[in-house]
Amino acid sequence: MIPELIALGELERDALTEIVNIGVSRAASSLRKMVGHEVHLSVPSIEVVSQRRAARLIGERELDGLVAIRQDFSGAFSGRALLIFPEANSLELVRAVTGDTLTAAEVLDMEHEALAETGNVILNSCLATMANMLKRSLTMTIPEVLRGNGATLFEIDDTGKSDGLVLFLYIDFAIRQRDIRGYIAMLMDLPALAILRELLEEFIARVIGDDER
Amino acid sequence: MSDNAVIEEQGREQRMMAIRAAAGSSGTWDWDILADRLYVDGRFAELYGIDASDCLTGLPTNAFFKAIHHEDRARIKIAVAGILGGAELFSKEFRVVTPDGVVLWMHGRGQSSFDADDQPVRFTGLLVDVTDRKRTEERLRIAQSAGGVGTFEHSDGFATMVVSEEFCRVLGLHPATVLPVQTVNGVVLAGELPLIPTQVPEEAGSGLDAEFRIIRAEDGAERWIARRGEIIRDGGGHRLVGVIYDVTKAKELEAQLRDLNDTLEARVEAEVVERHQAQESLRQAQKMEAVGHLTGGIAHDFNNLLTIIIGNIDTVLRRIDTTTDPRIKRSLDNALKGAESAAALTQRLLVFSRQQPLDPRAIDVARLLAGMSDLLTRSITEAISIQMSSAQDLWKIEADPHQLENAILNLAVNARDAMNGNGALTIDAGNILVDGDGPNGLAPGRYVAISVADTGTGMSPETIARAFDPFFTTKEVGKGTGLGLSMVYGFAQQSKGTVEIASRPGEGTTVTLYLPKAVAEAVDVVEAIENQLPMGSASETVLVVEDDDDVRAYTVGILRELGYRVIEAHDGVTGLRLLERQEHGIQLLLTDVIMPGMSGTELADAARRYQPGLKVLFNSGYTRDAIMRDGRLEPGVDLISKPFTFAVLAGKVREMLDR
Repeated sequence: MIPELIALGELERDALTEIVNIGVSRAASSLRKMVGHEVHLSVPSIEVVSQRRAARLIGERELDGLVAIRQDFSGAFSGRALLIFPEANSLELVRAVTGDTLTAAEVLDMEHEALAETGNVILNSCLATMANMLKRSLTMTIPEVLRGNGATLFEIDDTGKSDGLVLFLYIDFAIRQRDIRGYIAMLMDLPALAILRELLEEFIARVIGDDER
Repeated sequence: MSDNAVIEEQGREQRMMAIRAAAGSSGTWDWDILADRLYVDGRFAELYGIDASDCLTGLPTNAFFKAIHHEDRARIKIAVAGILGGAELFSKEFRVVTPDGVVLWMHGRGQSSFDADDQPVRFTGLLVDVTDRKRTEERLRIAQSAGGVGTFEHSDGFATMVVSEEFCRVLGLHPATVLPVQTVNGVVLAGELPLIPTQVPEEAGSGLDAEFRIIRAEDGAERWIARRGEIIRDGGGHRLVGVIYDVTKAKELEAQLRDLNDTLEARVEAEVVERHQAQESLRQAQKMEAVGHLTGGIAHDFNNLLTIIIGNIDTVLRRIDTTTDPRIKRSLDNALKGAESAAALTQRLLVFSRQQPLDPRAIDVARLLAGMSDLLTRSITEAISIQMSSAQDLWKIEADPHQLENAILNLAVNARDAMNGNGALTIDAGNILVDGDGPNGLAPGRYVAISVADTGTGMSPETIARAFDPFFTTKEVGKGTGLGLSMVYGFAQQSKGTVEIASRPGEGTTVTLYLPKAVAEAVDVVEAIENQLPMGSASETVLVVEDDDDVRAYTVGILRELGYRVIEAHDGVTGLRLLERQEHGIQLLLTDVIMPGMSGTELADAARRYQPGLKVLFNSGYTRDAIMRDGRLEPGVDLISKPFTFAVLAGKVREMLDR
């Protein structure tokens, strides 16, 4: 169960979804410039789940191996951000981003670098937008590319101590007539999530105005 | 702009509106972010109740939220804030309240455009009335959640399928709208068919009806799932559209029913065994009854013979004097002893066959109990302590002493059997005054309560309820007739009393006999008379009716010897004729009970009609028959058992005449 204190209300979830949408829109704009093609990104929904549940959730949806780009962030609230794709989609993404001019061998060579760069653009935009919209600052580490399954990505071990929470966002990519699905996950501990919730409250108050609440 | 141009512009706008209206559009908006003004079309204005003239000049942007239902407004403000902050796409459903107060569901779809610096400048979009769709969705959602029914749709060749939240809940998966087919098939128990078949044979029907066992993903529980639906073939491929729901409960009930069916057989079997035992018990009882009849019949004939033997030896013995050879007397004495032993034997046979007559008289229960002490000690040989006590001023009761002894013995033996050879038997007698509500509806009055208590296994209420039923026994077949308690009950009822059982499993049993206090005091008449031979006189006429000539001769001989005037007949009809011929009537009718033609009872009835108040002495070895009214002798009627001796007959006749 998610503790009452940090469980996000409906409006808070909406607000976070919109903020991340602003972030991915900016990322899409950046990617458009990189690729020179239409790139659309959107985040239809968001969930807050336990690490264990996040691993199960992604395991139910994705049966093949996963590729993830990971960046840690710290500041007003700290945590770890993951951009996750099904492994089968990752070469597709690289091809879409680099254009279809490369040979298969070249794609393989470039895969790691291209993934890291794409992930960096998207995660950076999201986190920077969050920081900006919530009027706080965040610093980020350089991206890392990981492969594995839900359990390894969400650092589930057998000790059962994985009690952190995950902001789980679905993300739809549309690049060059290709539909690629992915996920953004933000692993945060309880205090960090509590702070995020407070900041969202402030944001909502600003947007709606006192008369509406 | 010229007037014509304006008109042309308006005409084009109207045509566009018509096209949008036909497409389901309910209005468009154009939000100028830099100028902070909102422009809307006529339908939007109509929907929002905005004055048409304001459409062209533009409105303050907060007009966008004005008609939105207050519950949805905050959500939409946040979404618009996202757009103003740089998000690209807007796609929200919300309610709009029209000027007439009608609530409509709208789907607002919009997009922002950016300048060269990626700053949003315009936010344009379209409102579509989706009220009907929302209602349909609502009904579908409620149908699913209320019925626990989850929907799915899978198109041929796709690795994923569209599902409902309820579908995920039924399978214990995290709610989603799209799931890989492999995930869905993964919950099905190994060895079962896949929930979503990837290959559908061409010739297969259009149904999807099947049942599956699954391991629910969330809690690992094994459940039964039913799938219903259709295979829809369109174009080259097909779609599987259907529902699933949990049928575990129905399956469990089915299993329970099957179990019940299986145990039904076992129950029937047990019932058959029980019935078999009951039949066995009945056969045992019938056997005992038959043996009883047989022994009773034999005893009857034997008693007649013994009456002749004893009577004649008696006669001879009284005739011999001191001059006779002492060896003759010794031999006769031995013969008499042997005959008396034989008589005792037939008596026991009669007790066994329960055909001895009921002979109620006033009884001192304390004395009766004291007299039984030896018998009880011998009957209950095991390590069972026997304690008997009687109240000091115990009333006398009126009952048949032999039957009472039998009843107490019966209860004592039952108590012994209930204790498995170890325990304490307590027999207690006390006075009791019964008022309105006595046990078994016992009439109010004075009673003596004789209770037989054991420390044995006790009885369940079910056993108590059946304990008095004839043939009911808890003993093994062959060990009891199941008649013991029912005879006790019958005896108690006959004696105008009752019997009551108090018991609980494991806490022993107490059976209490209630017998009414005697009206007259007990007198041991027979004993008093037996010492002296009471003689009769010629003024006292006795009519003897007996079909056995030898017995009749013996009886008549005794009575004449005692001095009575005796007339005799060999059957009832002759006896009645003789009675009618007597001028002064007779004093006593002494008759056998079982006779060809008219029975002793019938004769007595007829005689008493002719001469009311006539004293009758029945003389029988086989008195099961109807000499008793309600199991008791009428006043002025008595009974003498065959074989009888000179002295007993003399005493009985005298006693009756003197009454």
